[in-house]
Amino acid sequence: MIKLDNVTKVYKESVVALEDVSLEIGKGEFVFVVGLSGSGKSTLIRLLMKEEEPTNGEIYVAGKNIAKLSPWKVPYLRRNIGTVFQDFKLLPDRTVFDNVGFALDVIGKPRHVIEQRVPEICGVVGLGDKLKNYPDELSGGEQQRVSIARAFVNRPLILMADEPTGNLDPSTSVDIMKLLDRINRTGTTVIMATHDNAIVDAMRRRVIELDCGRVVRDQARGVYGYGA
Amino acid sequence: MALRLDYFFRETLQGLKRNGLIAFAAVSTSFIALFLVGSTLLVSSEVNLLIDFTTRDVEVSVFLQKNVSPAEQQHLSQVLSAMPEVKSVSYESPEDAYRHFQEIFKDQKNLVQNVGPDALPASFQVKLKNPEEFGVVAARLASQPGIDKIRDNRQILKRLFAVIHVFRVGVLAVALIMLISAAALIGNTVRMAVFARRKEIGIMRLVGATNWHIRVPFLIEGLIEGLIGAGGAILGLFIMKVAFIDPLRGQLGFFPLVGTPHIISVIPWLIVLSLIVSSLASLIAMRRFLEV
Repeated sequence: MIKLDNVTKVYKESVVALEDVSLEIGKGEFVFVVGLSGSGKSTLIRLLMKEEEPTNGEIYVAGKNIAKLSPWKVPYLRRNIGTVFQDFKLLPDRTVFDNVGFALDVIGKPRHVIEQRVPEICGVVGLGDKLKNYPDELSGGEQQRVSIARAFVNRPLILMADEPTGNLDPSTSVDIMKLLDRINRTGTTVIMATHDNAIVDAMRRRVIELDCGRVVRDQARGVYGYGA
Repeated sequence: MALRLDYFFRETLQGLKRNGLIAFAAVSTSFIALFLVGSTLLVSSEVNLLIDFTTRDVEVSVFLQKNVSPAEQQHLSQVLSAMPEVKSVSYESPEDAYRHFQEIFKDQKNLVQNVGPDALPASFQVKLKNPEEFGVVAARLASQPGIDKIRDNRQILKRLFAVIHVFRVGVLAVALIMLISAAALIGNTVRMAVFARRKEIGIMRLVGATNWHIRVPFLIEGLIEGLIGAGGAILGLFIMKVAFIDPLRGQLGFFPLVGTPHIISVIPWLIVLSLIVSSLASLIAMRRFLEV
């Protein structure tokens, strides 16, 4: 599903964000990317979204070499990748229904598809009764559910989450992880960047650890840190 | 990709509402610019009307010497009639010329009293098949006896129209400057709209909206501003016609004036111009903000 070959990303000729990273993530995998702030987790996600170009190396997403992707095809790549962020990125002047529907609306899906799929996916994330609420009327955990619903409503092949539990308390985080696990069980590849060790330790999934832009550990059923 | 018109118009309307004041500035500037362009085009129509009107009857006047003999006059008449370039010739005697003169200047009694019937020369009024062939006719007549002066009436008018032309160029220059500022203002409103909605745009890019899908609402916003300006300009031209041109129509009698058909013929130009200017302005304004 995703393959990186000797990928290096250097910002402004001096700051090395990723150095010679090679890794492969299969379809349906659940992968934690861990590491300290500045270790290159976010750069990795930005490269997979083609928000940045790698300085060196090849990146394949869903069988396509995205370094050779022409700019007008980038939106179609992104339709295969749902993204969730620490800060939710919800539109405050739109209801839950409109925030989730927005993702379908702007890729030209017809109204009747939106009317059908948005309540369905909101039910899945447990917000079936909050469709008409605005983001500021929801708790942090609920807002993150909205953003997961928005990322998943178009049934992407890959879901990427950048610190999705960073703003949430531990018990809410567990609920969010249960939701991501459920999405993973539908066959969606989930990549989650985090430094929440409790979650990583509890889930026992594949862990890729980055340090100063290098992969220092790639472990199936891993934990957050050595000897933790 | 399915075309979602309701989506585009909803987004556009929100954008227009959000920065109403700058949108108003853009609309009024494009209104003034297009009104000036429209006026210039109407002045051109008016000039053409005047040229047609004044040269319709007589293109060339051949004035005869005072002491011309009937034989010479007869001969000239035949020479003129025989020329292939000439459409028609009519003789105007000094008496005819005097009557004509009295008619034109009937409101200026002093002038009429001071000029006697003998003051005006006899002439042949010549119509040419092609008015541009004046030079050929004049050269051929030069050697004929009894001719005092040959006058190309179009030439005189041309000098007058040269003045009008300078005026027209001036108005057009002002219109051009106004168009550029209208473009800058429309670009600015579009940029403000893009800025106000940068969060939405970020999410749109994230979920895979195509660039055109993101751009179109802003483009429509710019186009609507330009078109409202054009609509105002067209309305303004009609108001100008009713308020200033129509009252003159009775008083100048024989003078032709531009009317509704001329304004209607200007409308497509104004609309096309407003569409070009506003779409260019919007697209240039968006370029910087909407790169992948």
